[in-house]
Amino acid sequence: MKITALLVLKCDSRSDGSDPVILANATDVNHFGYFQRVTVRQFIVFVGRTVAKRTPPDQRHSVQHEEYKVHSYNRNGLCVVGFMDDHYPVRSAFSVLNKVIDEYQKCFGETWRNIQADSTQPWPYLNEALTKFQDPGEADNLLKIQRELDETKIILHKTIDSVLERGEKLDSLVEKSSDLSAASQMFYKQAKKTNQCCTIL
Amino acid sequence: MSEADPSGYAEPSSLLYRLEFILESDPLIDEVGFVHPSQFAALSDMSGSPSLSSMSMEPQSDKSKLKASQVNPTDMAFWSRDHKLGISTQAIHPLYNAAKHAFCSSLEQYKLLIHLNPKKVGLDSDNVSNVSSLATLECEVMKHSRALLLLSCDFGTAWNCRKEVVSKKQNMMLYLDELLVSTLVLSYSPKSERAWSHRRWVVKMIAGKCKNLQEILKNESELAQRIAEKSKMNYRAWNYRCWLVSYMPENQVINELIKYRDWAGLHVADNSCFHYRTRLLTRTLADSFYKQDLKASHVHTTAEVCQLWKEELSWSEILIKRYIGREALWLYRRFLALCWIKHFAARMGGTHVESFVDNELQLFRSCTTVPDNQMDEPQSVETGEKVGEELEKVLNKVCPEKAFLWDLVRKKNGGLI
Repeated sequence: MKITALLVLKCDSRSDGSDPVILANATDVNHFGYFQRVTVRQFIVFVGRTVAKRTPPDQRHSVQHEEYKVHSYNRNGLCVVGFMDDHYPVRSAFSVLNKVIDEYQKCFGETWRNIQADSTQPWPYLNEALTKFQDPGEADNLLKIQRELDETKIILHKTIDSVLERGEKLDSLVEKSSDLSAASQMFYKQAKKTNQCCTIL
Repeated sequence: MSEADPSGYAEPSSLLYRLEFILESDPLIDEVGFVHPSQFAALSDMSGSPSLSSMSMEPQSDKSKLKASQVNPTDMAFWSRDHKLGISTQAIHPLYNAAKHAFCSSLEQYKLLIHLNPKKVGLDSDNVSNVSSLATLECEVMKHSRALLLLSCDFGTAWNCRKEVVSKKQNMMLYLDELLVSTLVLSYSPKSERAWSHRRWVVKMIAGKCKNLQEILKNESELAQRIAEKSKMNYRAWNYRCWLVSYMPENQVINELIKYRDWAGLHVADNSCFHYRTRLLTRTLADSFYKQDLKASHVHTTAEVCQLWKEELSWSEILIKRYIGREALWLYRRFLALCWIKHFAARMGGTHVESFVDNELQLFRSCTTVPDNQMDEPQSVETGEKVGEELEKVLNKVCPEKAFLWDLVRKKNGGLI
């Protein structure tokens, strides 16, 4: 049971297709090999941005990507994305995302709407949440006070490809992305070729 | 500074020399990784300061003489910082060839010397020169085999000759060093069979002679868990961990169960983890068994062991209710239930077995109602059927007169099972 990352992004609902901006990022890559960590962090940012961009306002999505589930919740332009492993219960995952979004709005109000570039300042609450909710039992405590979760459906995607627009390919997004270094892109291509059992994102 | 050869790399034997030097100068290196040359710059940024890697031919005793800014990152063959060693993917092929060549030639000379002086070596004072050349050759063989194993984890001859050299000396520290070499190999190849069996060999060799075996076993168990967590479906890691149990004293077995319960609770899909727990619990029964008359029809367990089993049962129930549809949890509960009925329940008085079985049925019933919102895991329906089969087996085995209960449950669930 693992949460690898929690991201908060600002999603622009205008149709000019600009990428979401990262407002806060808490990642735990310690369970990866030392030399994989840089690549993993970059992929988390890339996948987080890609999924958030395609989560319309007031919708909840769950995307299966290899042995991870990427959950996203967009509340009126403010989007939270969580990278959980396959075994973390879906219900608990969304109650964590709900809590994070509530806290963010409590701390920062609507100031996020003016942010134009990725924020590099860590948000302490997000790091604490990442640690605290590793145990889904903690998230279950939240469930008792959250009611709106029952009313909204969650849209499930079996692969990340089904999130993309028609005609978009993940390979070309990887190539164009400025989030991924040359080494990471090369790693992505290699991993696909060899189809390792230990691929990362 | 670095030699300028057209490809940016020195010749293979100097690469090997550099690798062995780095390993020698930092015995605490615990992780090896193979890195694309373009990643070296990013790694330096990540660690917060320029990396120090020996690029020149002459090993520098004062590492501050080298500045990473003077070296083009893509020319680097090695990166070493924070006890981690990165080897450029471009250096692997020449390095491997050099290491294999050096190892094979030193092994040949070593075997020749042993063969010529099978019994005299080390004992005869006239053979002083032989002794020193033997020592030198042993050193060479160990040095080159370690470098080779970092590049080819299953090179059997290298592992075996290390066993040969170490077993000739009666030095505990050397055995522990072998564990470090295996750890280093497992850091880049966590499923390497040879690396795991090397650990088994070390434990077997030191078992009778070591005072702090329990401490070593504790560390080994933790290492196996760490590696199993990093690399999924690592049967070899769990197999090794199960194997260790036979060397653990009774109190350590109980300690393992209690200490790692929380971890198991966060890995409910990992059947191997629960299989390890069954191994530990079976051992608690075996220990009790040997303490009393072998002819007795059931095991007379201590109060502590009984309490442990009770806790395990109630903990398993909590997990099953929280994570609906986890096969590993149900399989574990089947083991717990059967053993409980067989070894513990009979002692608890007349109706205990019946009420225990009733409780199991109730648990089963509460978990087979499939909620119809789409948030729940899809496998709960299939698992419900499997659970049904298991429970039927338990019932028929233990109290066939209760078979009518089964029909009742089936009817109540509307033929769901």
